[in-house]
Amino acid sequence: MEYRQIQVIGGKGGAPGQFATSLRGLAVDAHGQLYAAGDSGITVFDKAGTVKRRWTTARPVLSVAVAGDGTVYAGQLRQIEIFDGAGKLVDTWRDEALLGRVTSIGFVKDGVLAGDAADRAIRHFDRHGKFLNTIGKNNPVNGFLIPNGVVDFAVDAKGVIHAANPGKHRVERYLPTGELLGHIGRFHGTDPAGFGGCCNPTNVAVRDRIYVTEKAGPRAKVYDFEGNLMAVIASAPFDPNCKNMSVAVNARGVVYVADTVKLAIFVFEPVTV
Amino acid sequence: MSEPVSRRDVLHGVVRGGVLATLGGGALFLVQKAHGQVVWQVDAARCINSRLGDTGAEACKLCTTECVVALSAVRAVNEYAKCGRCNICPAYFNITSAVDEKGLPSEKLCPRDAIARKPIGKADPEDPANNFYEYVIDEEKCDGCGKCVMKCKEPLGLGSIVLRVRYDKCVNCNRCAISRSCPKDALHQIPVEQALRSPESLHRTE
Repeated sequence: MEYRQIQVIGGKGGAPGQFATSLRGLAVDAHGQLYAAGDSGITVFDKAGTVKRRWTTARPVLSVAVAGDGTVYAGQLRQIEIFDGAGKLVDTWRDEALLGRVTSIGFVKDGVLAGDAADRAIRHFDRHGKFLNTIGKNNPVNGFLIPNGVVDFAVDAKGVIHAANPGKHRVERYLPTGELLGHIGRFHGTDPAGFGGCCNPTNVAVRDRIYVTEKAGPRAKVYDFEGNLMAVIASAPFDPNCKNMSVAVNARGVVYVADTVKLAIFVFEPVTV
Repeated sequence: MSEPVSRRDVLHGVVRGGVLATLGGGALFLVQKAHGQVVWQVDAARCINSRLGDTGAEACKLCTTECVVALSAVRAVNEYAKCGRCNICPAYFNITSAVDEKGLPSEKLCPRDAIARKPIGKADPEDPANNFYEYVIDEEKCDGCGKCVMKCKEPLGLGSIVLRVRYDKCVNCNRCAISRSCPKDALHQIPVEQALRSPESLHRTE
């Protein structure tokens, strides 16, 4: 299995579709539109990479997710802003303790999940914002090991949460109730099938497979659900100093990776060989 | 006739004494050198081993090879407040060495074995990754070669390990041999008062 780069979206600058200082989150909706969380706003791109909409957020945005009904959630410091598909603010969930630094958002059948990097945990809320439980803190180190400063996770079609635990060099599987089901991944400094450095992978996406990104050196990879490496998607285009590269995948298996230094979104498609 | 000593003066003196005591031996050496008015220090933002942006390069060893002091007056210092306490620390392990049966790199990075690693709290026998780890630099072994500093910096690490001039070792040359050869002009003379205001430059890691 191989991938080829087919497009670069965004970049550093002030033009429409570009980002001035930060590019921290990516999400794809059911129609294949790409949502990018950068600077203090959400930018929506169509399949061709053309800007469709952009709206501002109250605070610098750290993450973005799109629910099945098209509602857009934007993670920030101490709050989540919720927008309709047109970018109109419909609600804000504020919580100093439970939403310290919201670096990822996802959805399960009965609710919304928020990765709180300040407390190294995932919060589980119902659809109205009522807190249900915390995920990932029931261990001797009291949370995910994230020297990189980001809690990132994705939810598969069965509702299982796949959370990056970079300090353990694993992607862990949890039920929304918080039960740890298992993990994939191991440390290795040279074997591409392993996760290198102090703490990898930093980011994760799930569709038919598990997609991850790593830092130092930056690369994107894909695994099956048993933890077998399927492909190294790319490493060359990314700035060597970037980390916490958000990754998103559409229904056709097209992979979007955010380069946090170049502030560009690299797009890769699978190639059958 | 001597000036009357106010309560404020007494409190001021006590506080100052407490700060100096906290700073430890480094402060004592600084006070002794105060007549020199300036001391040498490494600017971490300039040092090629610690400054951001230079990734994948070999560590610069000029602080080891150029200093007139035995081993070097420059030593690696771990600023604990920044340290990630990782299970696999790229400054401690040679992270590209073979992986052992415990899933850890089999070789250490430091050629002088100057860094000690120990679990914080009770180690989890089922899962060694289920712990934080403390990394302590033995400054009597360290020669300031910078290898650990290079591996600790972002994005591989968190940049908690930096090179510092140790004032109890530095002989405060008028023309520091390291500064004359440093390609990044990272060695600078700073006023003693400034050095005293920077406890991290004084605090020993032992």
